[in-house]
Amino acid sequence: MNEPISCEIKLERTLIQDGPKFLSHKLIVAEQVAYLKPTISAMLFCFVYIVVGFFLISLASYILLHSQKMDLAIFVGGFGIAIFTFGVSLMQPFLKRASFDKNSQLFDNKRDRKVKLEHIISLQINNKMVVRKQALSYYCYELNMLTKHGRRINILNHNNFEQLNSDAGALAAFLQVPLSDYRRKIIL
Amino acid sequence: MNSIKFVISMLMLAWANRAAAEDEASSFAGVIGQISSRVDGFFKEYLNGFVELVFFSVPVDGTQFPLIVGWLVLAAIIFTWYFGFIQVRKAKLAIDIVRGKYTDPNSTNEGEVSHFQALATALSGTIGLGNIAGVGVALAIGGPGATFWMVLCGLLGMASKFCECTLGVKYRVVLPSGAVSGGPMYYLRDGMAEIGFAGLGKVLAVGFALMCILGSLGGGNMFQANQAHAMLTYAFGVPAEYGLLTGLVLAGLVFAVISGGMTAISAVTEKIVPWMGVLYVGMSVVVIGANLDQISAAFSAIFSGAFTGAGVAGGFIGALIQGLKRATFSNEAGIGSAAIAHSAVKTKEPVTEGLVALLEPFIDTVIICTMTALVITIAGLNTAPFDGEALTGVTLTAASFTSTADIFKYLLAFAVILFAFSTMISWSYYGLKAWTFLFGEGRGCEMVFKAIFCVFIVIGATIQFGAVIDFSDAAIFAMSIFNIIGLYFLMPIVKRELKMFIAKVDSGAIKKFD
Repeated sequence: MNEPISCEIKLERTLIQDGPKFLSHKLIVAEQVAYLKPTISAMLFCFVYIVVGFFLISLASYILLHSQKMDLAIFVGGFGIAIFTFGVSLMQPFLKRASFDKNSQLFDNKRDRKVKLEHIISLQINNKMVVRKQALSYYCYELNMLTKHGRRINILNHNNFEQLNSDAGALAAFLQVPLSDYRRKIIL
Repeated sequence: MNSIKFVISMLMLAWANRAAAEDEASSFAGVIGQISSRVDGFFKEYLNGFVELVFFSVPVDGTQFPLIVGWLVLAAIIFTWYFGFIQVRKAKLAIDIVRGKYTDPNSTNEGEVSHFQALATALSGTIGLGNIAGVGVALAIGGPGATFWMVLCGLLGMASKFCECTLGVKYRVVLPSGAVSGGPMYYLRDGMAEIGFAGLGKVLAVGFALMCILGSLGGGNMFQANQAHAMLTYAFGVPAEYGLLTGLVLAGLVFAVISGGMTAISAVTEKIVPWMGVLYVGMSVVVIGANLDQISAAFSAIFSGAFTGAGVAGGFIGALIQGLKRATFSNEAGIGSAAIAHSAVKTKEPVTEGLVALLEPFIDTVIICTMTALVITIAGLNTAPFDGEALTGVTLTAASFTSTADIFKYLLAFAVILFAFSTMISWSYYGLKAWTFLFGEGRGCEMVFKAIFCVFIVIGATIQFGAVIDFSDAAIFAMSIFNIIGLYFLMPIVKRELKMFIAKVDSGAIKKFD
């Protein structure tokens, strides 16, 4: 027996627990395509790890060639590889450009399955507090979309509200869907 | 013929490159050595006055006794008495809170941090080089007897930590940016104002914030970087003058974390560091287990050394001073830093966080520091006279572990680097909280502190141990001067909160979930 399943979609809830304390992406609208472009500052933070990791790997190679200290070379090289890999893994999400393409009529964030643009029914702005024990807590904002099948997908997630609000407006106009501000007062 | 010419020319080129590289390496080491000695000289010349002021000493039984050490111990004794030996009477309640017995299992509060998570995170900030290098220093200068005084200080310090962490949560504030901020700066300012001492409260809060900034640059930064490089020197024979490179690498990584709000690396660190704690305890258990027959002799040396101070400069008083100093440096009870960390927890009852925090000095000092001390005493490398001239700090601890199994030095090096890294991140947070309290929020203002913090990492890894540890100690201990004055004024508020909480538990208003 198939019973109808009802579920409530809470549009005021955020989709991601964490978020960066900087502007990570900007929306670029180019005629028939709107896409998310990572900012230089976001790339730089990732690049620090890649540079430090590469430096340590180079240092390990130098040690191995010139001093024959195998244990030190492995130790430094191991740290270098770990940090380098970490930097690359941090950078990867920034390199995947989510896009809304009117030519193909698809939204593709290179992560979830593609969504037809006609299925996107609204956009929502949400806020949250990122609380960490070893860093200052801070506000972070999300731009999410709702599909007609009830799926909610995150589009933007960073702490620059002015930019997010402006991008949200531009995207709502591009998709011709309503934009709602679901920011709420957060009581800790 | 051409191929022979080619081979000869390649060999000549390789030889020339090699010679040039060797010249370059020696001149590089020389330059780094010069920078190191200049920075060290600067610290000795300009910061010695501050160190002498904080550690102002009076002669006790022919030994110079730093008043600041007495100040901390006296406070711990007073808080223990005032709260009715809370560390003993409410230990079970504290453990139950950590086990989640007072947390509704059906609670759906978004993003709530459990008390166990809070304790685990706080412990990952507390367990670190204080337990490894600090105990090495204590035993190198104070002999095995210093261990006894460390344990005693840990037990008494539980009451100090309860008091300050309860106040940290009670008087925390939400800043305009939405950031939750708490700690001695706020309870000294707002709590003191509440009881009619607004002026004194402001003076204490500003004084604490200033010392907290210095503490974050000293014990929370330079000591960590310095000992991380010392460990590399011990384990791999890296020359001491190459500390500049260690400092630059650590500074680069720390800067990327603290300036970017790149939550991924913080999350990774928070996950790895508790496992480093497990690794360290595991290694200690292996060493102690492998030498079970020497345990009774080690405890005998600890107890007899505590009261005779044999081989220690200043005898029994000398051992006591070192034990108390290193215990305070390790568990941070009475210093006020833990109150900053604990204030971010999501709880409606400040006392619950105080009770959870109360367990920290026990785990940190009574259990883990004692394990390190046993490893050092069993190894027998720390011999009289205990003047710190032989092995000391992290090298004494590492050598003691290595005497059981050579591989331990590599594992310890790995743990020390990660402990140093995570502690620097924690202390950058404490320092930043104090900085924003004094100078306000703002990206530019905060970036200045972050840049200074990273410069001090490089300095710490470069300069000699003596200058670093003196400044680190002084800066951390100076925080307690302002914090403890405030705690004396505010302890009736904590007692009232405790009574109210206990009444709620007894009446069932706060439910226990089994």
